[in-house]
Amino acid sequence: MKVDESTVKHLADLSDFRLNSDEAKRLGGDLENIIKYISQLDELDTSDVEPTYQVFEMENVWRNDEILPQDANCEDLLNLTVETIDNQIKVPKVL
Amino acid sequence: MKYIPTIGIECHVQLCTKTKLFSEVDNDARGKEPNSCVSPVDYALPGMLPRLNGEAIRLAILAGRAMNCEINNNSRFDRKHYFYPDSPKGYQITQYYAPIIGSGYVELPSGTRIKIEHAHLEGDAGKLTHFDSYSLVDLNRVDTPLIEIVSMPDIHSAKDAHDYCKELWRLMRYAGVTYGDLYNGNMRFDVNTSVAPEDSKKLGTRTEVKNLNSFRSVERAVEYEIARQTKLLEAGEKVIQETRGWSDATGKTTGQRSKEEAKDYRYMPEPDLPPIHLTEEFVEAESSKLPMMPADYRTKFGGIIANDTMEVLLDYPELMFKLNEIDEKNVKSISNLFASVLLAEEKSAEYLNDLPSAKQLNDLAQMNEKKELSSTAAKEVFLRLFDPQMRGKDTRSIAKELGLIQENDLDALGAIVDTVLAKPETKKAQDDFRAGEEKVIGFLVGQVMKESHGKANPSAVQEILRKKLA
Repeated sequence: MKVDESTVKHLADLSDFRLNSDEAKRLGGDLENIIKYISQLDELDTSDVEPTYQVFEMENVWRNDEILPQDANCEDLLNLTVETIDNQIKVPKVL
Repeated sequence: MKYIPTIGIECHVQLCTKTKLFSEVDNDARGKEPNSCVSPVDYALPGMLPRLNGEAIRLAILAGRAMNCEINNNSRFDRKHYFYPDSPKGYQITQYYAPIIGSGYVELPSGTRIKIEHAHLEGDAGKLTHFDSYSLVDLNRVDTPLIEIVSMPDIHSAKDAHDYCKELWRLMRYAGVTYGDLYNGNMRFDVNTSVAPEDSKKLGTRTEVKNLNSFRSVERAVEYEIARQTKLLEAGEKVIQETRGWSDATGKTTGQRSKEEAKDYRYMPEPDLPPIHLTEEFVEAESSKLPMMPADYRTKFGGIIANDTMEVLLDYPELMFKLNEIDEKNVKSISNLFASVLLAEEKSAEYLNDLPSAKQLNDLAQMNEKKELSSTAAKEVFLRLFDPQMRGKDTRSIAKELGLIQENDLDALGAIVDTVLAKPETKKAQDDFRAGEEKVIGFLVGQVMKESHGKANPSAVQEILRKKLA
């Protein structure tokens, strides 16, 4: 599968990455190699195989609806951000 | 040419679980500081695992059953990717391929049935507040459990769109799955509208108005879109498929800047959450906890409560649950007190949380029925049942304390009537009445009422007077 520059740009836009043209070309090549490698799986006939959605064979892992103390409090978490105003996280303008 | 509108509605309902969908932090952020109800999971710190809240599954079953929906035995979660500051994970955990709630229907008060396509569990996003040069992020709402209810394009008028949203709101509150506070966004509606010529087999191009949070806005936005699209088509123009914003102030929808291409969410199975498998027994056991729904009350009380009173009362599940507790013979009079007295009170919202006991209400209705309380006195005693000073007492004690019990004992009343008739000042009225002057009976009844300090039953007094003066 060909991953051209515009496809890489599209993916970058969706993730809000900024890429220059050289990076986009190089990443396109990397992605092509990755897809080619994984595409080897296409050689297998899976028409009679149920799709696998998870590999642990677990189900119904639920917890009780109880409030529990957390490993990090509000202050710890806000300290991870670049800038806050009145306990809110400040981000560049999005609208 | 006549144009037929077609409307489909997506509704997001916030579930009233104690904790969030995927972490053990407080789900009720009302009145709390921004970013105070958050965990490392909500912040999406590397290596954090979501842990599914079992209560959300139970509530989803109740919500599904409230809409006459199938509950799917197998469901699972998927990641819906998008990049925006309201979602630290960079994706929303939702159910795209295998939702927990299957098809069903909602019946409107008019009897029209609106089909439900499916409904699924997902986490809410954080809240953004926009300023001139920056935006602020509050993550308290991240991963509040939601169910998104997707209707079929089955609605054909603005009125039905309104009624559908209102009925959903009722169903979700009767089922007890949400606080249902519309002002605070507990339920939000996205409305898809299109119009097509009457004879057309194909639906027209649709527009989507997002994030409406009142039934009235839904109705007005749909009315506006039907008129706008019809006008475009009549002028030979085309409707553009787009998201439009609604303004309550202007009463108009306006096109929002559309993205150059359709969104690319790159859905994939959520590897951190094992699938849900529900046995028939579990689904049945949980479903059996569903209380009576509005449609059940319409059937049960349809012959007792007038239709318009019923539709008013149905907005308050607390009142219907209470009517269901009292004796059926008292439902008519108590429902009238609820509709005409309770809901007219300034403090009615407070009162709803702390209604009188079924016994207090049964006693009140019976005392009124037996004329121990006049209708006016019954209203007064009813309101005293909400009075913090009085509410612990039984109805009869309250009525006695207020001196509102009517004297119905015919012997006792007869004695009072005799006392009044013996007074010289009533002599002339007695003669006039005997001479055929009907209306002086009112004067005599008044005298007896005065003598009894207002406690006599006036109709009984009149009857006794007529006998004695015959």
